[in-house]
Amino acid sequence: MKNLNFKKIAAFLTIIGIGIISFAFMNQERITVKGSDTMVILAQKWAEAYMKKNPSASIQVTGGGSGTGISALINGSTDICNASRKMKQTEIDKLKARYNTLGVEIPCAKDGITVYLHPTNKVKELTLKQLSDIFAGRTKNWKEVGGANAEIRLYGRENSSGTYVFFKDHVVKADYAPNCQTLPGTAAVVNAVKKDINAIGYGGAAYSAGIEICKVKKDANSPAYQANAETVKKNQYPITRYLYMYLRNRPTGAMKAYIDWILSPEGQNLVTDMGYFPVR
Amino acid sequence: MNTKAQSVEDSIKEQISEMKDRVNGIDERLMTSESDLSKLTKIKFSGYIQSEFNKYENRATLPSNNFSLRRVRLKATYEAADGVKFVVQPDFSPGSFSLKDAYVVLNDHFIHQGIFKNAISLTAGKFNRLNYEVEYSSSQREVPERSLVIRSIYPGERAIGFKLEVNPQGIPLKVQLGMFNGNDGGFNQLSDTTGKFAANTIENKDYDNFKDIMARATYSFKLGNIGGLDIGAHAYFGSLKSNTNATLHSDFTTIDSSKVGDAVKRNWFGAEFQFFADVLGGMSLKGEYITGKNAMLGGSKFANGNLLPNFQNNFAGYYVYLIKNIGKKNQFAFRYDYYDPNTDIKGSDVTISKYAGSNSRKIGSFKSSKADLAYTTFTLAWHYYFDDNIRITLAYAIVQNEKVGTNSAGAPNYKETYTNPDGSVGTNDYSKVFNQNQLTIRLQAKF
Repeated sequence: MKNLNFKKIAAFLTIIGIGIISFAFMNQERITVKGSDTMVILAQKWAEAYMKKNPSASIQVTGGGSGTGISALINGSTDICNASRKMKQTEIDKLKARYNTLGVEIPCAKDGITVYLHPTNKVKELTLKQLSDIFAGRTKNWKEVGGANAEIRLYGRENSSGTYVFFKDHVVKADYAPNCQTLPGTAAVVNAVKKDINAIGYGGAAYSAGIEICKVKKDANSPAYQANAETVKKNQYPITRYLYMYLRNRPTGAMKAYIDWILSPEGQNLVTDMGYFPVR
Repeated sequence: MNTKAQSVEDSIKEQISEMKDRVNGIDERLMTSESDLSKLTKIKFSGYIQSEFNKYENRATLPSNNFSLRRVRLKATYEAADGVKFVVQPDFSPGSFSLKDAYVVLNDHFIHQGIFKNAISLTAGKFNRLNYEVEYSSSQREVPERSLVIRSIYPGERAIGFKLEVNPQGIPLKVQLGMFNGNDGGFNQLSDTTGKFAANTIENKDYDNFKDIMARATYSFKLGNIGGLDIGAHAYFGSLKSNTNATLHSDFTTIDSSKVGDAVKRNWFGAEFQFFADVLGGMSLKGEYITGKNAMLGGSKFANGNLLPNFQNNFAGYYVYLIKNIGKKNQFAFRYDYYDPNTDIKGSDVTISKYAGSNSRKIGSFKSSKADLAYTTFTLAWHYYFDDNIRITLAYAIVQNEKVGTNSAGAPNYKETYTNPDGSVGTNDYSKVFNQNQLTIRLQAKF
């Protein structure tokens, strides 16, 4: 090790140390939030309320889907990623490779994925198995599940959506039927179902205005539940999930203050106001 | 009036019908376009270009500085169906076009419940061998090149074969089992004239019936708010078919008689860890230690007609990385790596005749050499991420050789001569640590 110049290396390390400390104490005021379309109205409401309370804060919220938000978190173009599913191991591995962290997962609300029907549909409740058969394309006509003799028209989310992934993994448990029309955002799914009497779609509970909410049963012998605060809290509604915020690192400064506020009673009250379910 | 009203109604109906036909036509065209587009979205292209400037301080290296394209990769991935993936990745580096990856991945579709649901995948073709630093992409690695031990035992990184990978649901465990031809990208044949290692000219093609087996397992622990720790181990069990009647061991005295066709074993084990902590931003400490026995084939004839022996060398090597991110844009990395290709003799014994062996018929004048010396490399690197696609790297590698001894006259037992640009002859004296450091400035564009 004779030709290692330890003085130079020590100086190099000192500069890095100063850099680390300087960055750690930089107070970042502008916060960008990107991700889940399911969560976008909730995230916007949080941002509006927080900025009203803290005029110096600047929070920019966009959707795009959980997958898009996670990609943005990995490539550094967002500070907070909203996700309606957990991060996959492959995504955590990318975060490790780029930022040397495992990310920080913050459950911030609960959601019951809601199944939408047209109000004129005779079918009012379905089992998880029936939903799986419908969205996998094994059941094609409403009469097979007690409805009219009409072809079932399927509406769902794009594959970048956390709702798409969660519904596929926990309900469909197979590939979606090829005729399932994918739409950009839960609001678009709700609109499509409103206009189509033979439609069925899925999305977040907060978007259920103007359409029929289908009750869901775990199996044929179980009671049917509609997604609401009580059934979601008690885990009775069978398609219940957490909604998350993901960060690259443990929050500091303005980011920490914002997240603490979201998890405070004030932030969690907004969760209820927007049709989701609080975690605290 | 009724006739007129009827006529208007008929006209409206006709127009509605026409409009419906048009809408249906557009709908049909849209569905065709969507169908075509969905096929295109199954194909993904990614890649990266590493353009760099190198400055070599070893005076035997000429030119001592140059611009080069270190890697020019274009990766095409086609997801034919859910769980079926094809990958082709050539490297377009000037003068060295090569196929780096070409494989198919099939995910299990038979297990629908329990921890093994969607947990098993089969990969077949040419792909990275099962090792942490090998599988870690060069576009992400925090220093320009892999550690010397990895470059030595896994030359070219890839091999042809297959692997089974199991990632049980809900358990942070990964188990990989692979089988390969075993002679990929290698330097596992001896030159017939010098007795030194020469490039295998039949890269990626097998020439014996022995297949090499690899196994690797990793497990991830979460350490609460601190971060996480991944630990793992891998093993390599390989053989080469002997073409000669002797195998010389790396002490340069032990000779095993072997027949043509016998298996010359290459076995090693490695243990690895990666620790990630969120301390004022991300940081990680990663390391791996590998030790075992490697082998090179003999068999070609010396000038005197004797057969070269096979050569089996006990080796050991390790690397340790310390990486620290500062904000979103900057990253510093330090790596210390060590590789001793021959743990049976010391540097001071290299080329000493007592290690020439007692059986000259079998080993001729085959002696320990530069190839038996250990090396340490301390690499410092700074990366600036201009954006998601562009990374600028400044790296400096401090390379140190194990020293050879000197003879009674004080001359080194091993030295290399080189010609300076002015025509004078210089010497790299291996009895000293001579300057062979390297500076790299790299611009990486990734998409």
